[in-house]
Amino acid sequence: MKQATIQTTHLNLVIPGRQKDVLTTQKRDKILKAIALILIYVFIIACAVLVIFPFFYMIIGSFMLEEDVIAGKLWPTAGSFFENIHYNYTQTLQRFDYFKYVGNTLIVGFSTTAGCLLITILSAFAFSRLHFKGREVLFTIFLATMMIPGEMMVITNYTTMNNLGLIPTQGQTRIQAYLCMILPFISSVFYIYLLRQNFLQIPNELYFSSKVDGKSDWQYLWKVMVPLASPTLITITILSLIGSWNAYVWPNLVTKNNDYWLISVAMRGSALQLPDPLAPDVYKTQSSWTMVASTLTVLPLLILFIIFRKYIMKGTGRAGIKG
Amino acid sequence: MKIKIVGLTKKFPGDPKKGIKDTVAVDSLNLDINDGELVGLLGPSGCGKSTTLYMVSGLKDPTDGQIYFDDEDVTFLAPEKRGIGLVFQNYALYPHMTVYKNISFPLTSLKLKENKKSFKAERARRLIEILSNPEEIADVITAVEKDNKIKKNDAVFALCSHYHISKLLAEQIYSYKLHISSDPKKDATKYVSAALIDVEEEKRELVQQHLILADNNDILKEDGTPIEVTRKLTKDEIDALVRDAARLVQIEQYLDRKPAELSGGQQQRVAIARALVKKPRVLLLDEPLSNLDARLRIQTREEIRKIQQKTNITTIFVTHDQEEAMSICDKILVMKDGKAMQEGNPQEVYRNPSNLFVAKFLGTPPINVFNGYIKDGGLYIGNERISDVNSSLDDKNVYVAIRPEGFIIDNKNGVFSLDCKEIVTMGRDLSLICSSPFLVSGKIKIIIDSDLKPEIGKIKFSIRPTKLYVFDGETEERITI
Amino acid sequence: MEKRNNWKAWLYLAPVLILMAVFTFYPLINTFVVSFIKDYNSSYGFNAQIGTSNRYVNTGFTFNNYGVVLGITPRNPSTGILDKTFLSFTGPSALGNTFLITFVTVPISVIIALVISIAINSIKVLKKFFQTVFFMPYVTNVIAVGMVFSIIFSRTGVFNTLFKLDVNWVNEGATYWRSMLILFVYIIWNALPYKILIFLSGLQNIDKQYYDAAKIDSASPVKVATKITIPLLSPQILYITITSFISAFKEYNSIIGLFNRNYTHDGNLPDLYTVVYYIYDKLNASSQTEYASAAAVVLFVIILFMTLIQMKISKKRVHY
Repeated sequence: MKQATIQTTHLNLVIPGRQKDVLTTQKRDKILKAIALILIYVFIIACAVLVIFPFFYMIIGSFMLEEDVIAGKLWPTAGSFFENIHYNYTQTLQRFDYFKYVGNTLIVGFSTTAGCLLITILSAFAFSRLHFKGREVLFTIFLATMMIPGEMMVITNYTTMNNLGLIPTQGQTRIQAYLCMILPFISSVFYIYLLRQNFLQIPNELYFSSKVDGKSDWQYLWKVMVPLASPTLITITILSLIGSWNAYVWPNLVTKNNDYWLISVAMRGSALQLPDPLAPDVYKTQSSWTMVASTLTVLPLLILFIIFRKYIMKGTGRAGIKG
Repeated sequence: MKIKIVGLTKKFPGDPKKGIKDTVAVDSLNLDINDGELVGLLGPSGCGKSTTLYMVSGLKDPTDGQIYFDDEDVTFLAPEKRGIGLVFQNYALYPHMTVYKNISFPLTSLKLKENKKSFKAERARRLIEILSNPEEIADVITAVEKDNKIKKNDAVFALCSHYHISKLLAEQIYSYKLHISSDPKKDATKYVSAALIDVEEEKRELVQQHLILADNNDILKEDGTPIEVTRKLTKDEIDALVRDAARLVQIEQYLDRKPAELSGGQQQRVAIARALVKKPRVLLLDEPLSNLDARLRIQTREEIRKIQQKTNITTIFVTHDQEEAMSICDKILVMKDGKAMQEGNPQEVYRNPSNLFVAKFLGTPPINVFNGYIKDGGLYIGNERISDVNSSLDDKNVYVAIRPEGFIIDNKNGVFSLDCKEIVTMGRDLSLICSSPFLVSGKIKIIIDSDLKPEIGKIKFSIRPTKLYVFDGETEERITI
Repeated sequence: MEKRNNWKAWLYLAPVLILMAVFTFYPLINTFVVSFIKDYNSSYGFNAQIGTSNRYVNTGFTFNNYGVVLGITPRNPSTGILDKTFLSFTGPSALGNTFLITFVTVPISVIIALVISIAINSIKVLKKFFQTVFFMPYVTNVIAVGMVFSIIFSRTGVFNTLFKLDVNWVNEGATYWRSMLILFVYIIWNALPYKILIFLSGLQNIDKQYYDAAKIDSASPVKVATKITIPLLSPQILYITITSFISAFKEYNSIIGLFNRNYTHDGNLPDLYTVVYYIYDKLNASSQTEYASAAAVVLFVIILFMTLIQMKISKKRVHY
């Protein structure tokens, strides 16, 4: 055999970091590993603190007197802790009719969710179980709409609502406002997609055996598929409720009376102000009360999240897996 | 590299809350492996053979015991520091890399320890050497001609493997176009003199730095001593190593493909090449053949054996297929429930199983096991006295195991009668399916020469003493009779 | 076995089809049409009254709406004043800000999310806990937390106090770049949870054997991350990049939450306008539906274009 430029048999390959003696190598590895682990934890904890800090400060801020919040204190110094809380929360609730807005939000949220569930179940069933001409094409068109910015729709939907007489310039009724906020959000392609994926996982055998038992499609859907897909339905319910809770743009556009505001709109729109002691004509927004309002808006979400985090994380995470 | 395993134990902690007990995957295992040996860890699934392999690799930490590579205790050494090659059951080829990238991946992490040398001089001198025979170059290039056309890639590839040079150098040689030159000799001389100038230049530069260029391209200090350096591998070196490894497992032509574009057998070779490319001290194979179809399995196992013998790397091979282990291993270790059952040369283990489990596990068709007993210096199955035994043995119940090839039809003097139900011709041999009320489980399979013409019904057999084993009825250990 | 039951299927689909037709498909077409209508009147549809009746007709189609939005043609020809709020090459504009927000926040948040996800994925103790912690901001209210951010970054707020600074970040009088910086921080903070969740679920799907193989091959942690983890995570990275490009282009709520300045597009130039902000302003405050529509179509085209480019690039780079 000819002599090679590089005689690979003579190459003396060494592993970086491998000392002559095993114990030194082991010791060095151990130390490096420990340092790496500590650094990773420090990094994660530091990031976690940054992520959590706004929540922490929001709640702490709602316990502070205005002067402390304005002075950028990390912890309440002025006043007495419980009196501060009492004062801040009662004052805020006088100006920010929390329970009224929560009521509005819950009515709109639950109505939207109920309609959404019904429609999602029906269409997901058709898309997963029934065979009809153009099924794949229609589903692809549905999915494609997810890419289109919602603003394209909002513009015309506003006009549509207007033309339906739901946004009169004066004297919008409660029902009109609610309808405006519910109707456009009943159909959601994302939830249909989510539920369809779940329905597809249910084995065909169940369908055939229920057919053999003489059950109709309709019975099969409600007696077999819906109970089996209940985790996904819970996910959809929670995500849809959170959606209503956080909805801002559309409710802000279509409600013409403060009484019909949803919580997010009210949170932004309520005037949490006091006259400036130096210039009584000038009203100043109270940061501590803003903290109270924010806490009241965010806390239910956090509680919902902590209770249902598995459903939320599963439902949200699933979107990414198939791209 | 010798490997010594002493009292190796792996416990997986259970969960007392859920009532799950600790499981012992490997239980005080001892094993000695000589340099260059191919050792098979053999046993049914869940016997701890893979766990043992993973502990040798360092991917799993043992609960107890030691592992020595030569004289070094590597028990808790990180896997990346052990210098081992591991072929995974599913190959674990990186799906996003080409075969070339897969094989070169380990090399990019390694360093090279050597005497400092001049790449420029080495390259130039190698070039001069090759150019000394321009006809040979032209021959190599024109050999790849197809339809009166020479594709550059093919030619470069041919040069690479002919001269064992890197792609870069091959491309340079190809660019000289010696195969279409009217006077290759003259052209070659021209390029040689250019290369010689390179060498001289390098020499001069080194002298300015008070260094000497040796004839083997090493760079020496003024007093003539070499300079030792540890450096990353060059692209050329990686290329040469990758091509060498690819050549060894015969996948050179697939280097540009992605693993998904290869068949199972080819992927397996890539996995072996990736494990071998870094010249490991130990090669570990975890059920490397289990994902291949039957025909490919036989072919590949022979190749693994060939490669192992060529490279002479100490190899541990895990398998549940006794035939696989028997056919290629220098030594096998039969395991059951984390314990070593028997160790030794495959034929030796087959001939002398030390307990019932090993006897049953080795051999196809499997050994036939009967309930028997020892009484008054005789071995009995039912009422039939099969053989005499050492008279010092106590009377007791035993298992009598007879290999399928241990039966001889002997209707006159036979000592063991069986009811023959079926006769199957298998090429050279006949297979008799028989039944006996004393059989422990399954069917009796007997293999005899096809020249004999047995008939269905009662047949009497005499038993070859070397194919007959007796095991204790309780401990299942072998009893010498 | 399964026969085609066409009419039944359509019955199941009827509700969703009706709703989608009214609230998705029709608006899509209509917005597109309106963006080309001359003298659009949002209450009546068209602007030319027939006689004294209440009937209005379309007086024709025009590209002028786009001209006005893009600041090429004046809205009122008699004054000749160009509206530069949407697009300007000399100062902040809705489109410029949107591009700035997108090209700053998307890459940074993707990288930060990747690093955090890989870090979380590499630990064993408290992994689930941190996974939950980092996902928490996902469910919160963008407006409410935006207001909290604006208090944290106010002139005498806790951020300045902690770092002993005296900088006006978000209140009236803050400079454009300072406001932008805080907006970036807030948008990134908001964008992290979803990305981390997707990356972590992607990371957990990567076969552990690749890491074992890399370990045997003595690959360093950095090499494992760049040569193995990130390429194997590329489908998720592509998905996240596309979706976050889209949502960054639609940034609106975080500005509403974070800034309390009174933005009007008449008079002084609103420096923190975005495309969507512009659309809602045209729609709500000034009832200029045709301009809102034109801007929405521009947004749609940009998003479509960006998505296609990314898909094209990904064909080469993404490993499936």
